[in-house]
Amino acid sequence: MFTRFSASPPTPAPAAAPALTRRRLLRDGTAAAGALLAAGPLSGCASPAAADASALSVWDLFQGGDGMLMDDMIKAASKGPQGFEVERTILDWGPSYYTKLAMSAAGGRASDVAILHLSRLAGYAPGGLLDPFDLDLLAEFGVSEKDFAPAVWSRTRHENTVYAIPLDVHPFIVFYDKEAADKAGLLDSSGELAPMGSPDALLDAGKALAKATGQKGILFGHVTDTAQNWRQFAALYAQTGSAFTLPDGGPPQIDVDAAIHVVTFMQQLFDGRTNPNNLDYNGATAGFIGGRGGMIMTGEWELPTLKKSGIPLGAAPFPQVFDKPGVYTDSHSFVLPHQENPDPQRRREAHRYIAAMVKQSLTWASAGHIPAYQPVLAEPEYAALDPQSSYADAGEVAVLDPPNWFAGAASNFQNRMCQPLQAALLGNTSAEKAVRQMVREADTLLRQPNPVA
Amino acid sequence: MTTTAPPGTGTLTGPASDRPGGLRRIGLKGGRTAKGPGLAFVLPFALVFALFLVWPIVHGLWMSFTDSSLTLHDTAFVGFDNYTEAFGDPDVWSSLGNTVVFTAISSVPLVLIALAMALLVHSGLAGQWAWRLAFFAPYLLPVTVVTLIWTWLYQPELGFANQFLDTLGMAPVGWLSDESVAMWSIAALTVWWTVGFNFLLYLAALQSLPSTFYEAAALDGAGAWRRLWSITLPQLRRTTALVAMLQVLASLKVFDQIYILTKGGPNASTRPVLEYVYDVGFTGYRLGYASAVSYLFFALVIVVSLVQLRLFRQED
Repeated sequence: MFTRFSASPPTPAPAAAPALTRRRLLRDGTAAAGALLAAGPLSGCASPAAADASALSVWDLFQGGDGMLMDDMIKAASKGPQGFEVERTILDWGPSYYTKLAMSAAGGRASDVAILHLSRLAGYAPGGLLDPFDLDLLAEFGVSEKDFAPAVWSRTRHENTVYAIPLDVHPFIVFYDKEAADKAGLLDSSGELAPMGSPDALLDAGKALAKATGQKGILFGHVTDTAQNWRQFAALYAQTGSAFTLPDGGPPQIDVDAAIHVVTFMQQLFDGRTNPNNLDYNGATAGFIGGRGGMIMTGEWELPTLKKSGIPLGAAPFPQVFDKPGVYTDSHSFVLPHQENPDPQRRREAHRYIAAMVKQSLTWASAGHIPAYQPVLAEPEYAALDPQSSYADAGEVAVLDPPNWFAGAASNFQNRMCQPLQAALLGNTSAEKAVRQMVREADTLLRQPNPVA
Repeated sequence: MTTTAPPGTGTLTGPASDRPGGLRRIGLKGGRTAKGPGLAFVLPFALVFALFLVWPIVHGLWMSFTDSSLTLHDTAFVGFDNYTEAFGDPDVWSSLGNTVVFTAISSVPLVLIALAMALLVHSGLAGQWAWRLAFFAPYLLPVTVVTLIWTWLYQPELGFANQFLDTLGMAPVGWLSDESVAMWSIAALTVWWTVGFNFLLYLAALQSLPSTFYEAAALDGAGAWRRLWSITLPQLRRTTALVAMLQVLASLKVFDQIYILTKGGPNASTRPVLEYVYDVGFTGYRLGYASAVSYLFFALVIVVSLVQLRLFRQED
């Protein structure tokens, strides 16, 4: 998909085309086909920068509701004398986006600005696929380090150079039916979900919700999904306070006992009776909307869908059940994909554009994402957003993937971690075997030669 | 089905005196000059063929001997390192195994069911066009639509398949989440989706069988089964060979529906070798290694094709 935003007023429609005759159609058609044939293989889609000399080219992977909000933000930024001329290219979310982004940067003629999940930075910055930001220039446009949560900002750097400016933090959280939660006695005096504090408290909450709804307690879609189980595990594991690091060459540094403890707890939680253990992503979402459970563990990006359902919707950060708070998140960030000969003026425009976009993240927050640009969180309009403001704190206890070239959103690593976890949740393997397999899989990936080093 | 041109026709090098106008001038001087226009006709295709098939094959082979990556990193020659790694990589073997298993469990029903459906429709069932349409229609659907439909059929809690089992009082099945079931589920989907093409080939062949055999057999008092076994099936042998060959090659190439439905899960039990190549090369950036794995697969495809060719030669 390709959308053009222009700072100048739209050009008037061209005058009616001369009448189309058969001969004319044949002649023009043949010429056009010939031109396409000649241009197709040569130009491809690799050089968005060359498409228009003046417009800023941006790549992102926002579809659906997110995509429309991004449209609104770009339109707003295109207004006025200082407005931008933007050529937006929307690509499909998932592994293929990162293949395309890497290839365009390797070719040195990438777009001026692109979106990258912060968890993928380790696969991009060290390989020279990204160009660094000029922080002085950003400061000139009113954006600097102090505007971001330290837990997120710390992941924007590679060798002390900043390569990414976060737009949002998008955690894996819980949504709940306020009426059911109230009936189950899970709300505090202000009507928000009360803290859990222990594994047993969450297990009891599931039972109470199941009783209150007369159906199931907590829904979680993970079957055939290549990220959900990892999100759930990573959050709970981080809460135990243990570290999970992926040093090049292996072996992975993981506290096996803590991991087994976490997986055992996940098995207890999704026991197949109180809380189903065999839902897939869409099934869990559809189930929650259909009132088949009192709570769902999923990404905040499902907010627009869930809100439409008419359920009295509450939301909260992923509950803390172990020693430390921890919420699994990722962050959509702006990056400057590598260009062989960047034009300084365009680079300046790119910086100005990114600053303008993060300052508009109140619009972005309506989709459920937490703005990474902290001044927005302090605005009264943000506090008025319900239930977004209920989980605004999640960014401060953000847990991202352990940094390594193969990890991050839509990566093989997440897929491989999810497979044994899924088997454990479905009761096809024990917690211990699942963890051993996770360690083995991580070790296999670490032993592979690093293609970006 | 077969069209054999009589010798001598269709070539420009034959006696040209009887050819009309323009062609005479070319032909008269003998074979050598006749190649001019021949080449001109072949050249456009040959160019595309060389550019998009020969060159990628050669370049891919070269890449399989390097540590080429999708990123900026310099490419170095690594000899047989990638192949050594591939031979020792259990994921290569398990994914190759998955591809072979899928080919086996999908090709057999795709040939047999197609034949059965064609025979049924050809037997003079009322409303032939409706059957033909119904059997062929799924083939027209794009893979995304097919997988979307079947995701919901296989959906563990709300899906039709498990609801149906539930009404029969049977336990639900993890259609896409149980390692021992998932590949069968995908094969079932594939049969539903693509059987229409084989069905059409068989139906066309059936309709072109000469009726004389059947008339003679009827005079001799042969029943329906006798006619099926002694006339129809032997007459369809060439079609069966064609269908089987096309089917095995198509099944070996399986990727899309698996990638969309399960991403190769659960636990890599449905990951075909092509997905492994994709994962390693495009998601993992290791193009050199991915090329080596794909050349191993290429070798397997060549072996299968040769075996098939030999088998069918013998039959003829």
